[in-house]
Formats: sequence, structure tokens, C-alpha cells
Amino acid sequence: MENALMVALTRQMTLRRELSITANNLANMNTAGFKVEKLLLASKSGATSSHADGPNKINFVQDWGVARDFSDGRIEITGRPLDVALIGKGFFAVETPDGERYTRDGRFKVDQTGTLSTSDGMMVLDDTGAPILMDAFGGAPSIDQKGIISIDGAEIGRLKVVGFAALGGLAKDGSGRYRAPEGAIPETIETPKIMQAYLERSNVVPILEINRMVEVTRSYQSVSNMLKSEEDTSRQAIQRLGRVA
Amino acid sequence: MRALNTAATGMLAQQLNVEVISNNIANMNTTGYKRQRAEFQDLLYQSVERQGASSSDAGTIVPTGVQIGLGVKAGSVYRVTEQGNLTQTGNPYDLAIAGQGYFTVQLPSGEDGYTRAGNFAVGPEGQLLTEDGYVVSPGITMPLDAIDITISQQGQVQASIPGQTAPQTVGQLELATFFNEAGLDPQGNNLFLESAASGPANTGTPGSAGFGRISQGFIEASNVNAVQEITALIQAQRAYEMNSKVISAADEMLSTSANLRR
Repeated sequence: MENALMVALTRQMTLRRELSITANNLANMNTAGFKVEKLLLASKSGATSSHADGPNKINFVQDWGVARDFSDGRIEITGRPLDVALIGKGFFAVETPDGERYTRDGRFKVDQTGTLSTSDGMMVLDDTGAPILMDAFGGAPSIDQKGIISIDGAEIGRLKVVGFAALGGLAKDGSGRYRAPEGAIPETIETPKIMQAYLERSNVVPILEINRMVEVTRSYQSVSNMLKSEEDTSRQAIQRLGRVA
Repeated sequence: MRALNTAATGMLAQQLNVEVISNNIANMNTTGYKRQRAEFQDLLYQSVERQGASSSDAGTIVPTGVQIGLGVKAGSVYRVTEQGNLTQTGNPYDLAIAGQGYFTVQLPSGEDGYTRAGNFAVGPEGQLLTEDGYVVSPGITMPLDAIDITISQQGQVQASIPGQTAPQTVGQLELATFFNEAGLDPQGNNLFLESAASGPANTGTPGSAGFGRISQGFIEASNVNAVQEITALIQAQRAYEMNSKVISAADEMLSTSANLRR
């Protein structure tokens, strides 16, 4: 009898997590470089509470992982020379206090020391792993498809663009940055496709998220209904069996 | 329920977005105004199940793990400092900067202010003043009997005086540039102050390397693009709406749970 309650509980817990993930997707609808996420579920077999009746094996629901869709987001023209969009595979490498991190967010700026940095002030790295010093008093920088930055025709540096064999191993750090798992070696992408004065928006498709949200709330309700009918069954059993002739 | 807070961060972010957009639209016709952009970043992630955790007795591991994001935050409101269009006015004291640089203004407090709005005027003693009556540095005084004032692209101010064949040079305008001009501290009235984020001012002659040229008889219009702003406004409004739907969905789920017990 309790089996049904426990299975329903695991489902309700995963549904709540699913809604949290959908909420995060929608909250980040306008975050540059954000990649949409989805909860992966798996069945987990467990022992039944009693072998006397019912199936001798039941399956619980378990969240197993988060799948990230790394497809390109909308590419939008901004006209700002330090906005760069990365088309297709790859990440920009950024130096943070916790070590090297990777991002798809190309809203770069020049800080007070003239160093190329991300929108929250982390240094953007060049292909040798060093920060890029911009000539702030020169003309507007131009960035070509391969990520070579030049000002007034003089080459200043090349953006480090790396890829990973197993994207699933990346963990999110917040602020649009990813952390590579220990031991993973980033591969340098020799021919990236970089577009200057464009930005990659998030790849959240709002209609799909709203759809998932409706699905989640409805499933939650039907699981609750199941719980209610289970409760009714037990109540009736107690009433009938407990009646003294 | 995490989703409630997450959706709330989304709504707050979109509210800020609408505030920034409305300020841009309101300043569409402000001389020298630079449009602003609210920049969002995803918040922290909570690991519910770590990647690499063992998922069975046979030693299989979870490849991705479950990381649940906690929403969105406004990273910064960034000023997009790109050149605005130059509009012809014909007024000799309207100056526009084509390229990099700011005019330096002596504020009543004694500090130096910086501005791109070059709609200047001449004061009672002939000094060059901003719209608000602050002296444009270095103080330049126009001769009272001048019939014509010419300001060259390099910022040289010359006055034609009756009876003199050659125009008389009365001053030289200077421009200031910054490493990070988006980091200047806005004061309203088109004025900015130097800040720790902008770096120190670097002054120079207009037209020299790294400095813009001056166009007399023009003003720099704002760089707000109405179509872009309206599109962004629609996006922001819809995003706000969708986040509010998440709140009602989470609420519905909570009430379903609450109604379980009869």
C-alpha cells in the first residue's frame, strides 16, 4: 500500500525540481549566452515494502542529471565593437579568482587599466593564456572571424577559443561561466567563427518552457489525485475491515 | 519552493530592463546622450547531485549531475558609448565631437566634469559656457567685437574682428579620453565625473591620434535607436509576463499539495 505513496512522492519531488529548472530558464530568457537546461529522469528500482501482494519490483523516479542544450542562441546585431558572438562550437576563456573559466557571453569591455574584460570585470584571455591589453587611445578595435583583435591595423592579440570533447561534464558557475571537470583538457579551436558587433542571446524557446510548465503542473495534480484515491482506498479498508460484525 | 524565488528574480530583472529602456526612450532627443543596456547574468547554481557521484554499486558515475540555477541577476547597466549622429544646427557655438573624447567642464564644486553635449553658449563676458552656465575649460573668452567665430576640427578658436584682415586666435579647446569611458560616473545634465572604473583622464588636442575631431555648427544626437528600444521593450514585457506565469504555476502546485489533506 505504501509503495504507491512512495513512488508518487519521488515523482512529486522531481516535478518540483523540473519547475525550478524551467523557472531558471525563463528567468534567464534575456541573458546573453545562456544555455537552456532540462532535467533528465531515470527509473530506479527498489524493494517493495511487502512481498505478499503487488509486484515484487517497483520503480521509483529519480533525477539523474541536467541536460544542457548547447545549440546556438539567437544572434542579434548590437553594433557595439566589443560585443562578439561565437557561432557554433567553442567558449571564450576567462581568468577568475578561482581559475580559468569558460563562457559564451561575449559582452566584453575595457576596464580602467585598459585590459579586455567580461561584463563583470574578469580578464579575457588570449591564445597564450595571458590577459589582453587594449590600446584604449587608439581607434575602434576590429575583431576578425578567427578572433584576432587589431587596432588601427596593428594586431593586439587573439581571443582564446576552446572546446571540450564532453560538454556534459561542464558545470555551471553562475555569471554565464562554466567550470571544466578535473582532468579535462580544453582543446583550442583553430578556426572559430566569431562575429564582431553581434551578441548571442539565450537559446531559451519560451513556448517550450511554458509548455513544460503546464505539463509539470498537470502531472503534479494527477499524482496528487492518485495519492488521494490511494488514501480513499486505505480509509475504506480501515472502515470496512475494522467493523465489528 | 525554489521556482517561486527564481521567477521573482526574473521579474525583478525585467523590471530593471524596462526602467533602463524607458530612460533611453525618454532621452531619445537629449544631446550627447548614450543609450544604456541592462546586462543580465545567471545567478548561482545549487548542486543537488554532483557530477561524478557514483550512481550504482557497479561503479557507474553520474556524468552531468543535477545543478539547479537560482535565477538571474542584473550584472550592470552598461553605457553604450558609440558615436551618435551629427545634426546640423548652424549655430557657431554648437560643437560635436566626431570620434573619441569629452569636453572638460569646470563645475561649481571645483571638480572637472566631462560631457559630450556641445550645445554651448557665450556668457555676458564672452566666455564659452555650457547650457547650465558652467565654464568650458580651458576658459575661452570671445572678443566682444567679433563678427564671426570659427572653431577648427583641431579645436582652435578664431575670431574675425572688423578692421583686421587675419582672424585672431582666442583659444584652443581640449578633449579628455578615458581607458573605460563606460565607467564614468553620470551626474545628470549630460555631465560625467571621473571614477575609479573609468581610469584617469588623458587630455589632448582634438584631431590628434586617439582623439575625435570637432565639428562646428553640429550637435551630437543621442545614439538611441527607437526601433531597437521598442523591440527590447516588447521582449522585456513578455519575459516579465512569462516569469509571472511561473509564479502562478508554482502556486498551483503548492495548493495541490496543501489540498491533499482533507
